[in-house]
Amino acid sequence: MEKNGLLKRQLSKQGMRQVFTVTCGLIALCIAFGIINPLFFSQRNISNLLRQIAPIILIGIAQSFVLITGNIDLSIGSVVGVSTMMSATLMTKGMNPWLAAFFTLLVSLLFGLVNGYLVAGFKLPPFIATLGTMTIGRGIAQIVNNNYNTGAINTIEKTAEAVDRFRNFFYYGKFLGIYNGVWIALAVFIVFNFILNRTKSGRYLYALGSNPEAARLSGVNVLKTTTIAYLVSAFCSYLVGITQCCSAGMGAMDAGNSYEMYGVAASVMGGVSTLGGTGKLIGTVVGACIWSVLQNGLQFANAPVAIRNIVIGIIIIVAVLLDIIVRNRKPKLADSKKQ
Amino acid sequence: MQDYIVQMNQICKSFPGVKALENVSFDLKAGEVMALLGENGAGKSTLVKILSGVYTKDKGEITVFNELIHNMTQKIANEKGIAIIHQELNMCQHLTVAQNIFLGREPVKYGLIDNKRMNKDSRAILEKLGVSIDPETITGSLQVSKQQMVEIAKALSIDAKVLIMDEPTSALTSREIDELFNIIRNLKSSGCGIVYISHRLEELTNIADRVTIMRDGQFITSGSYKDFTMDQIIAHMVGREIKEKYPHVDCEVGEVVFEVKNINAGRMVRNVSFNIRKGELVGIAGLMGAGRTETTRAIFGADPKENGQIFLNGKEIKINNPKNAIAAGIVLAPENRKTDGLCIKLPVRENISLPNLDIISNKAGVVKLKNDYKMSEKAVQDINIKLPTVDVNAENLSGGNQQKVVVGKWLSGNSKMVMFDEPTRGIDVAAKVEIYHLMNKLKREGIGCLFVSSELPEIIGVADRIIVMCDGRITGELSRNEATQEKVLTLATRFENKISN
Ligand SMILES: Nc1ncnc2c1ncn2[C@@H]1O[C@H](COP(=O)(O)OP(=O)(O)OP(=O)(O)O)[C@@H](O)[C@H]1O
Ligand SMILES: [Mg+2]
Repeated sequence: MEKNGLLKRQLSKQGMRQVFTVTCGLIALCIAFGIINPLFFSQRNISNLLRQIAPIILIGIAQSFVLITGNIDLSIGSVVGVSTMMSATLMTKGMNPWLAAFFTLLVSLLFGLVNGYLVAGFKLPPFIATLGTMTIGRGIAQIVNNNYNTGAINTIEKTAEAVDRFRNFFYYGKFLGIYNGVWIALAVFIVFNFILNRTKSGRYLYALGSNPEAARLSGVNVLKTTTIAYLVSAFCSYLVGITQCCSAGMGAMDAGNSYEMYGVAASVMGGVSTLGGTGKLIGTVVGACIWSVLQNGLQFANAPVAIRNIVIGIIIIVAVLLDIIVRNRKPKLADSKKQ
Repeated sequence: MQDYIVQMNQICKSFPGVKALENVSFDLKAGEVMALLGENGAGKSTLVKILSGVYTKDKGEITVFNELIHNMTQKIANEKGIAIIHQELNMCQHLTVAQNIFLGREPVKYGLIDNKRMNKDSRAILEKLGVSIDPETITGSLQVSKQQMVEIAKALSIDAKVLIMDEPTSALTSREIDELFNIIRNLKSSGCGIVYISHRLEELTNIADRVTIMRDGQFITSGSYKDFTMDQIIAHMVGREIKEKYPHVDCEVGEVVFEVKNINAGRMVRNVSFNIRKGELVGIAGLMGAGRTETTRAIFGADPKENGQIFLNGKEIKINNPKNAIAAGIVLAPENRKTDGLCIKLPVRENISLPNLDIISNKAGVVKLKNDYKMSEKAVQDINIKLPTVDVNAENLSGGNQQKVVVGKWLSGNSKMVMFDEPTRGIDVAAKVEIYHLMNKLKREGIGCLFVSSELPEIIGVADRIIVMCDGRITGELSRNEATQEKVLTLATRFENKISN
């Protein structure tokens, strides 16, 4: 009884209904893939799957923060690329990995700062502004190592041990039987979810996305709030970049290509509206899970890449379409019950 | 006996958590104006939206021109000649006036849109309305009152036999209201039935033939307008008598709380100076477009100002944006709830606390949910906002209740100076009185209180002092004792060229 009431209260909250629906969808998907190939549920696959989900969750959180303010961030993939390439290059030059990661963080955050100022300060359309920084970012990712992917990052004797520990920390290591990357994504989710739901800044983000003028007249600092969203986005992208550097043990110039769109996909499947003002981060996490489960499950079902792409594209459209239909039909459903 | 052209029987409609209509019956004859009255959230808009096919009914019967209609849709309503002017402006801001008027039924020639004819026809309709608007202007660039006239023109352009007007006058100037009444009389004599919803009860004498009164989603009574006194109508609407429509309290007037000196901001705010003393409620009167809204916005930092000084309790403060103003304790409840006042996709609770988050959060910026709920629930109680819970989205409230949220949001902080721009627009009689009481309370507490209003009886009734504006300048001040409608109007029409002549 008590529990029932709690569930009901959660569902009555804004956007939680959609989260509930997509969670059901996720469970159904997992069961379906499990039936097609029982190995889907093998411990090994689950463990791998979780590790695949982690970066998509981070990317989803990145894009969701920006979408909630009514903007979009196309530079996410490029920041991933910059982060990978820069940290890897610095490490191949013998820099301590943590120091390299720190410098890379500064550069990545610079992208968020520039995006925020272009969009809210100079009032550039977010699509254009971040299209620009996206292209610039990719260029930087290419230029840091003179248009080559980097070599292995743990070849320098002085730092080899530190680099290996660094790679364990972000990617290869496990804690309580689960890969560290998953824990990092979880921690990031908890922190940013708290910020979004419980702090002033979070409220401002939603208000800005819902009605920028009303928000401004309510004393919301539009520039600061927009920039916070882009900074969060850049930070999450940075983490993904570092993780990719650790997993590959080198820097690839095209790392993170089109990740910004994966972020949009995870967000909208989880109920974040591209129009701003609505959506929950927990939805984005579920959306990210669906995305990765599809990739992984279809692979297990031996579907070729082309088919995978087509299926995933269709599922994104159907997921969002379903939500629109359910939303429009809801009052009428309530009607028919009464009659 | 005239025939009924619309009959609605035992209509029911529920929204999640709210019974908006319970067995409501309503009828309309050809050639009459039926005033539909009731408090905010009584269900007036819901009823007419059902009649025009915007919402579907849960139960009940709708008969239009003696034909029982089971499934009213907007398309059927159109075919039957039912046109509706919605309470909220419903226009594409980026399209031209003519494009809006003919939206969805553009005249076509050789398979292309016949722009020439569209503009010509629009011009004719607008002329008939007596407004000078170029059909080729972009709608969003027009003043709200002009946009409202376009909305009316749009409804008139489809030869309606049943015309529903949901608060058409709440954003109009007195001249435009006169024009509107003329048109209503013409339509009436041509046999059109009109449903008229308004909270400006004074204007009913001009046009209403019959009234239907609702309360809390229920039908209360209906009858010929002549058979009711205004007090009876109000008592039916509210469920009790209202003794004082414009409550006023006398306070001892103390030192100056708030002062502005020589503020300039564009053409609409020129050299504006005034002050407000402790224990005083000041009203700004003027015609639409006199620069009253612009003045409050300039003070609040919503628009940039060229120069001028602002003093609060004798200390000069610099205001460059609304954040500065709010930090100093100066707030503004803006006039347009949809564009400036509310985030309609957010819960009422978050709307109310949005400008007050500093008060209810700790140093780290974490919002204390308990205080959050307390704040919004107090506001809901204070001004009687009708809603199922404070967690519903603002868009689900009735128009008047949305307006109350805007007022409530700005009264919930610890302000030192409160400005209201048309605080009672679209608000029912009882709630208006609540808002006057709140303003009186502010003034008793020594908080500066200023309100802009286009309703003369209101401003003369509750303000201690009236500042009159015309053409962006202050043209005079009247104390409570000397203020009459005539005097206010004389000052409000003191245009510059008149002075120089
Ligand atoms: N779309 C909606 N979703 C949920 N509740 C709604 C919706 N529209 C209206 N309501 C509720 O139905 C009730 C009646 O609303 P309605 O808009 O008909 O009132 P009204 O008489 O027009 O009031 P006002 O004078 O303020 O315009 C209100 O309690 C309102 O909260
Ligand atoms: Mg209404």
